[in-house]
Amino acid sequence: MSLLELKGISKIYGDLKALDNINLSVENGEWVAIMGPSGSGKSTMMNIIGCMDKPSKGEVLLDGVDIAKESAKNLTAIRRDKIGLIFQQFHLVNYLTAVENVMVAQYYHSIPDEKEAMEALARVGLAERARHLPSQLSGGEQQRVCIARALINHPEIVLADEPTGNLDEANENIVLDLFHQLHEEHTTLIVVTHDPEVAEVAQRTITLEHGRIKSDKINENFGK
Amino acid sequence: MLVALLAIAVGATILSGLVTIYIDVPRQMGAEFRNYGANMIFMASSNDAVFDEAAVQEGLALIQSGQLVGVAPYRYETVRIHEQPVVAAGTDLTEVQTTSPYWMIEGDWGTSEGDLMVGRNIAESLNLHVGDLVNVMGPTEENEEDQLNFGEDMKLTGIVETGGKEEDYIYMSMADLEKLVGEGELDVAELSVSAGSDELNGYVEKITEEVDSITPRLVKRVTQSESTVLSKLQALVFLVTAVVLVLTMICVATTMTAVVAERRKEIGLRKALGASDSSIIREFMGEGLLLGGVGGIVGSVLGFVFAQYVSVRVFASSIRYQPLLLPITILVSILITGLACLVPVRNATTIDPALVLKGE
Repeated sequence: MSLLELKGISKIYGDLKALDNINLSVENGEWVAIMGPSGSGKSTMMNIIGCMDKPSKGEVLLDGVDIAKESAKNLTAIRRDKIGLIFQQFHLVNYLTAVENVMVAQYYHSIPDEKEAMEALARVGLAERARHLPSQLSGGEQQRVCIARALINHPEIVLADEPTGNLDEANENIVLDLFHQLHEEHTTLIVVTHDPEVAEVAQRTITLEHGRIKSDKINENFGK
Repeated sequence: MLVALLAIAVGATILSGLVTIYIDVPRQMGAEFRNYGANMIFMASSNDAVFDEAAVQEGLALIQSGQLVGVAPYRYETVRIHEQPVVAAGTDLTEVQTTSPYWMIEGDWGTSEGDLMVGRNIAESLNLHVGDLVNVMGPTEENEEDQLNFGEDMKLTGIVETGGKEEDYIYMSMADLEKLVGEGELDVAELSVSAGSDELNGYVEKITEEVDSITPRLVKRVTQSESTVLSKLQALVFLVTAVVLVLTMICVATTMTAVVAERRKEIGLRKALGASDSSIIREFMGEGLLLGGVGGIVGSVLGFVFAQYVSVRVFASSIRYQPLLLPITILVSILITGLACLVPVRNATTIDPALVLKGE
């Protein structure tokens, strides 16, 4: 059974079909890139997979559970327990230090554990910067804090929205290396990106256009 | 948040200060009103009743100690000065100073036997001056028919001015009057009691019931004025406090709404990370209630300082600290803040977590 299955989902706003009869399966441990121009439905799909929105039609099976039928309260719990989010603009709480930002996710999930949060920061190479505020960190460092926060609760799926969109090339490479590590550890990665170079390093690339899947291809060069 | 804290602290200061004044005003005003003279009198209950010092003491025993400011017994008898009949009041001139502090005295209060005070009208009609040795004539047991032979030379220590009927009498100690006219009963006793009108009415009922020889009465013009002024003042304090609390609530609600709007992205992020609505409510309400508590503590301290300042400026006396006001002010501040936070916190729960994915 696939970890994530979208079965005939559509999202309709009045006359506009943001998503139109999407069918997609993502296996456990798979690294999928989703590409497409603005307005193609990437964000809508991310919202639905991230349990922040519901489709107008169709089923979204996560671990066999149809999250399209769950209540808002249950969706919050699923998001908390099964999904890690990485954002283009990092979205760190500006008055909390790096380690405290990681602990925020722990706080809502279970119990804040500073030692574990420090280990997560060490894993992204930021142990030395743990006590710094976001304003004292570079963009690349902030994104790594964001990644540490997304991983701290051991999610089943990591959803990344333009994770390298605000980074220079050096930091982009650092983030992509981290994604490689996560993939090797069998973490399921779904990355929305405009950048073909970021999409190329993924195992599979799905391209959306006008709310439909235009192409779904396995990257032959993956892992080389 | 600092603005909200300031608003709560100011509100709590006004609340604590005005409630302190509200509670203490009856005592303060009571003391003020005591300057306008006695507010209760004892009279004989009937012609047959024995109305003497012992009966007065029996009545006084029913008044709570500490509330009795002063009591002046009066016995009125006719005597003669320069062959002219005048009404002499035998009393305790030291106590009169407390029951009638509004008397203006030219010269000094007579405080010992042989001292005489006369009303302004008597002094003018008989051409008496402070320092004169005045021969006061009264009846004697040996010569009751002409009642003119016995006399006492008394020193005129002061002339009484009140603008009222008090200027038509002369005043001496009870002992001096007894020397002149012999022993007798009291006519009236004037009391100055520091108590509210309800309490005074209670004393009147109690003394009427328990002391047969006395009919106590309230001096209505004093007690009613006191009661009217107090009720108006307390209503004003209540109104101002209520308005200030409503303004505080509006200010806190506005500030919290602004805080929620400012932290909209952060709230969206927290919800995206899995914060439930109840978590968001707890966090923001917790912050609000903490602000309320801190503001309440600051306000209750500043409120006492404010009340003390007002009391000293208006009543020229310090105010009593009300220990219960500290927890009450803190609780009311927390309650007001909690109410003010309801709508902003509810708005916080409606923020869509997806906004963090939209790059807002």
